[in-house]
Amino acid sequence: MAALEDPRPAVNGAAPHVSKKPKLSFITESELRDEFAHHQPGIARLNNGSFGSCPSSIIAAQRRWQFRFLRQPDDFFFNQLQPQIIQSRAVIKDLINADHVDEVAIVDNATTAAAIVLQHVGWAFAEGRFQKGDAVVMLHCAFQAVKKSIEAYVTRAGGSVIVVNLPFPVNSNEEIIAEFRKGLARGKANGKKVRLAIIDHITSMPCVVIPARELVRICREEGVERVFVDAAHAIGNIHVDVKDIGADFYVSNLHKWFFCPPSVAFLYCRKSPVSPDLHHPVVSHEYGNGLAIESAWIGTRDYSSQLVIPEVLEFTRRFEGGLEGIRNRNHDKAVEMAQMLAKAWGTNLGSPPEMCPSMAMIGLPSKLGVLTDDDALKLRSHLRDHFLVEVPIHCEVPRDGETRAMDADGCITGYVRISHQVYNTLDEYIRLRDAIIQLTQNGVTWKTIQS
Amino acid sequence: MACPITATATANSNSKQTLISQSEIQSEFSHHDPTIARVNNGSFGCCPASIIAAQHRHQLLFLRQPDHFYYNTLKPSILQTRLLIQNLINADHVDEVSIVDNATTAAAIVLQHTARAFTSSAFQPGDAVILLHYAYGAVKKSVHAYISRTGGHVIEVHLPFPVKSSSEIVSEFEKALRLGKANGRKIRLAIIDHITSMPCVIIPIIELVKMCRDEGVDRIFVDGAHAIGNVEIDVKSIGADFYTSNMHKWLFCPPSAAFLYCKMSDELSDLHHPVVSHEYGNGLAMESSWTGTRDNSAQLVLPEVMEFLNRFEGGLQGIMTRNHENVVEMAKMLVEAWGTELGAPPELCSSMAMVGMPACLGIKSGADGLRLRKHLRECFKVEVPIYYREPLEGEVDPVTGYARISHQVYNVAGDYYRLRDAVNTLVKEGLTCALLLK
Repeated sequence: MAALEDPRPAVNGAAPHVSKKPKLSFITESELRDEFAHHQPGIARLNNGSFGSCPSSIIAAQRRWQFRFLRQPDDFFFNQLQPQIIQSRAVIKDLINADHVDEVAIVDNATTAAAIVLQHVGWAFAEGRFQKGDAVVMLHCAFQAVKKSIEAYVTRAGGSVIVVNLPFPVNSNEEIIAEFRKGLARGKANGKKVRLAIIDHITSMPCVVIPARELVRICREEGVERVFVDAAHAIGNIHVDVKDIGADFYVSNLHKWFFCPPSVAFLYCRKSPVSPDLHHPVVSHEYGNGLAIESAWIGTRDYSSQLVIPEVLEFTRRFEGGLEGIRNRNHDKAVEMAQMLAKAWGTNLGSPPEMCPSMAMIGLPSKLGVLTDDDALKLRSHLRDHFLVEVPIHCEVPRDGETRAMDADGCITGYVRISHQVYNTLDEYIRLRDAIIQLTQNGVTWKTIQS
Repeated sequence: MACPITATATANSNSKQTLISQSEIQSEFSHHDPTIARVNNGSFGCCPASIIAAQHRHQLLFLRQPDHFYYNTLKPSILQTRLLIQNLINADHVDEVSIVDNATTAAAIVLQHTARAFTSSAFQPGDAVILLHYAYGAVKKSVHAYISRTGGHVIEVHLPFPVKSSSEIVSEFEKALRLGKANGRKIRLAIIDHITSMPCVIIPIIELVKMCRDEGVDRIFVDGAHAIGNVEIDVKSIGADFYTSNMHKWLFCPPSAAFLYCKMSDELSDLHHPVVSHEYGNGLAMESSWTGTRDNSAQLVLPEVMEFLNRFEGGLQGIMTRNHENVVEMAKMLVEAWGTELGAPPELCSSMAMVGMPACLGIKSGADGLRLRKHLRECFKVEVPIYYREPLEGEVDPVTGYARISHQVYNVAGDYYRLRDAVNTLVKEGLTCALLLK
């Protein structure tokens, strides 16, 4: 490894003019290592996207909150919990540029937020405000759990679903915008009323930053009643301004890229006449007092992960440029590593750098023969078990025989999704590079490995 | 100083294992605020330090390598919890046991299922759901959110309190059931508490479930939020379709974890967790085991809890018996000291008891009860929930306030003497709830 220089700038090597607070020193390299010392050593942990990460000082903060509850739960319940949740909501409101803290509810995760929005749609069908056949729009690559939620709450209630296919690999925002326009128009062809569009801000698999603002605008132009942006990956990964995006509902997980412990997310709901009719499906004492208040008490729970948000904000300020600095460096690194891998493997990037967040999709050598989702999962397990590399793998089989990406040996159908978070180091990506090269040597394909 | 009410015996059936000592018990709960007389285990439960440590280990396992945990560890760990519960509650199949966050979530599952039957017209508008007037507030809200909203008719059964015997409860319930069915109304769901929360009374659940079956009630949901670790649960002899209990109240789990038992039936496949994720359609137990990225650690420590229980003489049974005996003894001590009465006879008390408070305190509303509770917490460092009972017409000097005292293994007699003395002080000072308002 010594031959390859780590091209990253030193974390705290900021030029003097950058620092606005000369007295405060940034987190050092060794402090950073300590913060993530609980990560399993020896693993190339290239999958921050799936489950996120939490620094040990935040885990410690969470434990302090846990113990406050355990120490005297009644006092905690009556006097401490609600004010503290409001504080967390206020931090989020500022981060995302929402107008009112009332618009910000804290829930467990994006999956829960989807259930809230979709149950609301389900009620509208059941109570006759929406007619059978009215449609909900989703991207074909929407997160699997969201698709199931649509099935449970929309299809079951008589709604229809318009699926918009997005291209991948993709070359520009314009490709996505054009496809979305076409897909939406096609779906509306027989005069269907479109009640809700669900648009990812960053798709999960394959991972691409979607021009959400533009798609929201198109939805409005096309008479879509409400728009829900599923931004599960967004906060801490890309810039989030909910007013600028202009959606009715916007959700992001805070445990993926915002250093919170599992699990916590915010659901932003723009103030509207339907606001009082949004409910948390787990009904408790606060039913009818607004979604944010309902979500702050859904029975006895451990709410500690929701209470450390102010401490997390402090943590991000220990880095040069704060959260924005972290995001930018993560993005730059992810792209740099992606380009290194694509070059080493003779493959491609799934999207241009400007459409990558802190993650990137890199084509796997076609020789590996990743042709199904099952292949992808098995290869992932193999990399975990035999190479100690943790990286999710996506299978994209070209539609209608169109050839999207090729390498010297054939059609590229498999992609790895690499992440870069503050704890990652160069050698982890080298390990991935070399593991794949080893697997493709001597004409070995995935099928051979399996037997 | 503070002494245990009944000491842990030295001779025992767990002869190979040393029993937990009094000082070890204190150590296990040393994270409790030592200045508080904590006689409210019922509301939020408690968790021993060794179980908290176990939970932290599980948490760290996830944080260490979450993908491995998700793919290889989580499901088998939850299955282990479900097997332990199946055994504890005498369920036939582990498929009948789902782990959820709390009883509130379990209620949402059952009620959302019932709501779907109304909206799909399997049930007709005006078909009824019957529940106790003393049902937990959150459950009532859930009934309103899912049943009233979809056209169901809600019948509340008023039970007597104070109550003298379970036959009073049975006959009141029978009357309400008959009335509810009048004019051929169909009762689709009965929600019956195993132990009501406020006021706290053990309900004769086996008789009531049988009565519901005999009277043609479609389905019966027993809300046993307080039950596990408090009273014995045998879901087969209880015979309900759905049964839920919180594991963090009386079974020493960290917040929060609960189980929802659903008797095998064709309907079982149509029960769903409201937070829909990848496992949708694979059965409630599978759906509940993954509702998106979560901290599942509270659901995974039951094996360690079983070990903890075995450190006590007679295990869980021994704990339950001693808790009950101690709380009754302390309740009797209090009513004697205050000149009041128990809200229910000892056989209807679990590890909790309702103790009448002196009438001169002038508790005239639920808000008064809350204010008095706050005053006791802040000025006397005593934590005890207070129930307000509306007096009947013509009652002279009615007892309108009841303290719900709990006894769990960490309690000592001194906790209850502090409550006794605090109330006596208030009485001597002539404090009333009206004065508290000023």
